[in-house]
Amino acid sequence: MIDTARPAPRTAPVPRSSHPSTPHPPAVVEPWDVAARRRRRSGRRRLAMADLLVVATWASAAVAVALWLVSPGSHTVTGVSGVLTDAGIVAGLVATDLVLVMLVLAARVPLLDRVVGQDRAIAVHRSLGKPVLFLLLGHGALLTLGYAAADGSGPVAETIALFSSPDMPLAYLGLGLFVLVVVSSLVAVRRRLPYEVWHGIHLLSYAAVLVALPHMLSAGSVLAHGSWQRAYWIALYVLSLGLIAVYRFVVPVVVSLRHRIRVVGVEPIAPGVVSIHLAGRDLDRLGARGGQYGVWRFWTGATWWHAHPVSFSAVPTVDRARITVRDLGAGSARLGRIRPGAAVSLEGPYGLFTTHARTAPYLALVASGIGITPVRALLEDTDLRPGEATVLLRGTDDRQQYLWRETAALADASGSAVCAMVGPRARSRPSWVTEEDLRRGVTLGSVFPHLLESDLYVCGPQSWADLVVQDARRAGVPAHRIHHERFGA
Amino acid sequence: MRARAVLGGVLSSVAVLVIGWQVGGQTATTASPPTSTSDTSGSGTSGSGTSGTDASGSGTSGSGTSGTSGSAASGSTASGTFLGAVAQTRYGPVQVRIVVSDGTITDVTAPQLTDADGRSVAISAQAAPVLRQEALQAQSAQIQAVSGATFTSEGYTTSLQSAIDQAGL
Repeated sequence: MIDTARPAPRTAPVPRSSHPSTPHPPAVVEPWDVAARRRRRSGRRRLAMADLLVVATWASAAVAVALWLVSPGSHTVTGVSGVLTDAGIVAGLVATDLVLVMLVLAARVPLLDRVVGQDRAIAVHRSLGKPVLFLLLGHGALLTLGYAAADGSGPVAETIALFSSPDMPLAYLGLGLFVLVVVSSLVAVRRRLPYEVWHGIHLLSYAAVLVALPHMLSAGSVLAHGSWQRAYWIALYVLSLGLIAVYRFVVPVVVSLRHRIRVVGVEPIAPGVVSIHLAGRDLDRLGARGGQYGVWRFWTGATWWHAHPVSFSAVPTVDRARITVRDLGAGSARLGRIRPGAAVSLEGPYGLFTTHARTAPYLALVASGIGITPVRALLEDTDLRPGEATVLLRGTDDRQQYLWRETAALADASGSAVCAMVGPRARSRPSWVTEEDLRRGVTLGSVFPHLLESDLYVCGPQSWADLVVQDARRAGVPAHRIHHERFGA
Repeated sequence: MRARAVLGGVLSSVAVLVIGWQVGGQTATTASPPTSTSDTSGSGTSGSGTSGTDASGSGTSGSGTSGTSGSAASGSTASGTFLGAVAQTRYGPVQVRIVVSDGTITDVTAPQLTDADGRSVAISAQAAPVLRQEALQAQSAQIQAVSGATFTSEGYTTSLQSAIDQAGL
């Protein structure tokens, strides 16, 4: 069912007076063409920056190879053992460089978040995992075989000999830890592991990176004592581990201490869904934009060990913020029982599901289920002219209409159109619409009149969202205009 | 845009590799360590991939006095050339010769350095001048190992100590 009337309100959370759900008075609206030019420019800048980062990654791997190229003897590799050994050295150098790139991708560096978004950075991080593991295993195997060929001994005897060399036991330990980290992250394995176990194992990668360093400096001939190569390599280590230390540990602690966020109320808005109202100091200076999320930790006995990535469901004001959570896992179910007064620490805000990412004149928002939260906040954060935005709210049934009333009020105030589609997904073939709408031929194009001149923001369950994105791509929406928040990632 | 990124990445990588190759080529031709000006024969050290092969004393292991042509007088006024014992390492034998003048080590050469394969030769070529400089400064075998050349350094100090012992320094 599609209608442009207001969706029937099921949930009726009456916002607190200080709560930021009352829409902004429309600010001085930027002329249409000026806004379009600004968005095109910023879109081009972001793409250029993203490309530059890709180029830098390639170049860093090339520099790793070049370190070997400038080392003496690299131009005169002879014999089976020489080739094996030098291939092993190059594999190790490139693997280490990529491991450090992976650290940077996971460091939640603000620049990366602004340019490609944290979820994209993590996707690249994941895609590097297996290749790096193969390079590392190749590094060990090639060098062992190369040394064995040089000594005329076997690989087993050579491994034993290597083990007794200085710093080599640590290197083997590092390799073992890497194998463990990558294997635990394989989709099939990770699905079976509780998040905390996986995360605990993943933290071992810091140890793996560190224990691998001594053998590079002592046993490797490429990073000789006092050489610029050695200085460069150590600088890479300092840079990547420094970014991790600063942005994953120092900044979150500073943010949490500065803003002193605490829970002031937990409001059930539907079965299994709660809005958590937060208070703190200068929350507007968090810099959270509508559509962004934070990684939250609630310091109570039952919840402190679990961090929750949750979107802001409203743009924070000076002293208030709000997040809305559905109990998707054991950890988030406990959030409903948090008492007011609990201290909260925050990593973030993160995410590119904001108006910053817009490049087109119109705005198309599609939200399903709890995916409404960033869409709701984004709508609040945008100075829209009447008719600029269209919102499609999707729910399986009447009980899934979280925050719909607030969203409709925001849309109303900005002159945006709202459609609702309620009902389970079609069964006859994979589709994000209901069976009835499928028969009527409803597509994204029919819901959003300006689809091809729109930025499309999609948030909802993964498999559903994938189908929406597919539909959009088929309709001809370019990939860079599709903004897709993967929550739970 | 992705194509642009990949193209840029490939081009920049190729550029880096070409520069690396060029720089490496220059290093390889100028990296041969300064050989000693000692008047003894067989002073050619490593660096050109032929290290150790021209040593007259090769194969002598622990023989102590072979090739020695000096007077190990008592006290510290020894003069002459002293050849250290050959130290066997897993990457080949290492042997060091010192030139002593009035109790001072004036030159250190290495007729034999680890040369099991191209890599060992390269490592030796890099380590030898560093080890020589350290030995001349320390005037003893108490010198720091060169990182990346652990085995060469160990062999070097062992043979150096033996040469110093012979000179009675």
